[in-house]
Amino acid sequence: MTSSPVGIEALNVYCGLAQIPVEVLFAERGLNRDRLGNLMMNQRSVGFPFEDPITNAVNAAKPIVDALTPEQKERIEVLITATESGIDYSKSVASYVHRYLGLSRRCQFMEAKQACYAATGAVQMGVAYVASGISPGAKVLVIATDVTLADGRNQYIEPVVGPGAAALLLSDRPRILTVDFGAFGNYAFETLDSARPTPTEEVADVDGSLFAYLDCLKQAFLAYRDHVEGTDFATTFDFLAMHTPFAGLVKASHRKMMREFTRASPTEIEQDFTQRVFPSVVYARQVGNLGAASVYLGLASVIDEVKADTGYRVGLFSYGSGCCSEFYSGVIDQESTTALGEMQIGRHLAGRCELTFDQYEELLKDTLLCLVPRKEHDVEIGQWSAVLDRRSNPRPFLTLKRVRNYHREYEWV
Amino acid sequence: MPVSDVSREAIDRAVREVITAILPAVSPDAIVGNKHLRDLGADSVDRVEIILMLLDRLHLDEPMSSFSGLPDIDGLVAFLHERCR
Repeated sequence: MTSSPVGIEALNVYCGLAQIPVEVLFAERGLNRDRLGNLMMNQRSVGFPFEDPITNAVNAAKPIVDALTPEQKERIEVLITATESGIDYSKSVASYVHRYLGLSRRCQFMEAKQACYAATGAVQMGVAYVASGISPGAKVLVIATDVTLADGRNQYIEPVVGPGAAALLLSDRPRILTVDFGAFGNYAFETLDSARPTPTEEVADVDGSLFAYLDCLKQAFLAYRDHVEGTDFATTFDFLAMHTPFAGLVKASHRKMMREFTRASPTEIEQDFTQRVFPSVVYARQVGNLGAASVYLGLASVIDEVKADTGYRVGLFSYGSGCCSEFYSGVIDQESTTALGEMQIGRHLAGRCELTFDQYEELLKDTLLCLVPRKEHDVEIGQWSAVLDRRSNPRPFLTLKRVRNYHREYEWV
Repeated sequence: MPVSDVSREAIDRAVREVITAILPAVSPDAIVGNKHLRDLGADSVDRVEIILMLLDRLHLDEPMSSFSGLPDIDGLVAFLHERCR
């Protein structure tokens, strides 16, 4: 067992090349604008036909892997993709990611599934692998990656979900987040609050899902408190980053917790939300619910917004329908700001092109079929060259080119 | 039959008052038993707030998940009445 700190060495998110304003979707779908206030969302990311869970994962992780020396890259010994957007019953997303990131053939890979929670389960396993000391200096790469299958049938869900991925490199050099080892709490039970029963269908019981989320937040926090004596919801955590189905739910969840665990007045609760929680939803309000990557988009948002000049403890809450949840914590500091700043996430989000509703509808015809198994398939990338050319960062970018006998083939542009 | 500590009428009144407090634009006449909170224009955050305010007012400690399958306001009142026994 190592005595070194362990945690997240590097973090990056990829949130697509395009976005559409939430207000446009509300107007075109005939949704009730009175609900915009409680939603607290501005835009959502949109995927293209040349994107899938594999390209999102690789495009999130590529800058992290490219920044490593060959020797450091060789120390990535475990790759876990966490996704509810699998592309095969047997073959993992991770197998393609392993190939296109050029990882070592001595690096094991696998896929984890538990809706939006799986990435956090994978992170905890990865942290334990690093901390165990069974392979001193080893690194673990966890990538949360998803696409959305929502369209007009999903009413108020459609405007608040987006495709994307978060890549997290775990090691004993935690520049981004030093995990409070052993400080965690889980809460889980079986329910069908939302699911993907087929490759083209999202089903959701809105109340069932939101209420399960709220129960899990409270109970996972209580489990955390049982592990960490003296924990206080109002004072232990300088910032909170939660899985964000939509920012308004995070606000409602924080309000509920503050009512139950503190004597704060409504005004004090509002101020506390602005100070401790709002920094975590700044990015989510621009891209939507990223699924498994959501809570790590929240962490990135906290680091980029706060620009820490000293150590701050962040409480993280991860929830996945079905349902499983975890509350854990870690510490960010000035080094976190520097390390994440290299990824230029804010610039990436600002550089997405804005789509019209007609363009968005046209894309849906293809992107809704993203997870449907196809034996043969070709993607004509040329028609999207203008979108690809205006990317904010000239990094290599992976695109889906074709499928031959179910084997997906990708191309760097 | 056990005697309820809080009458069904009192719970019905509390439900109406809380709905009106969270959704001030809704006329009291519109709050009828066979409607769901959604039918009154309550979005998901409003529904959370209504349930939390009712739990607070009735001094109940009940998981939120208990409320997800209730079909309408009558169902909500009946559930709260049962829990107040």
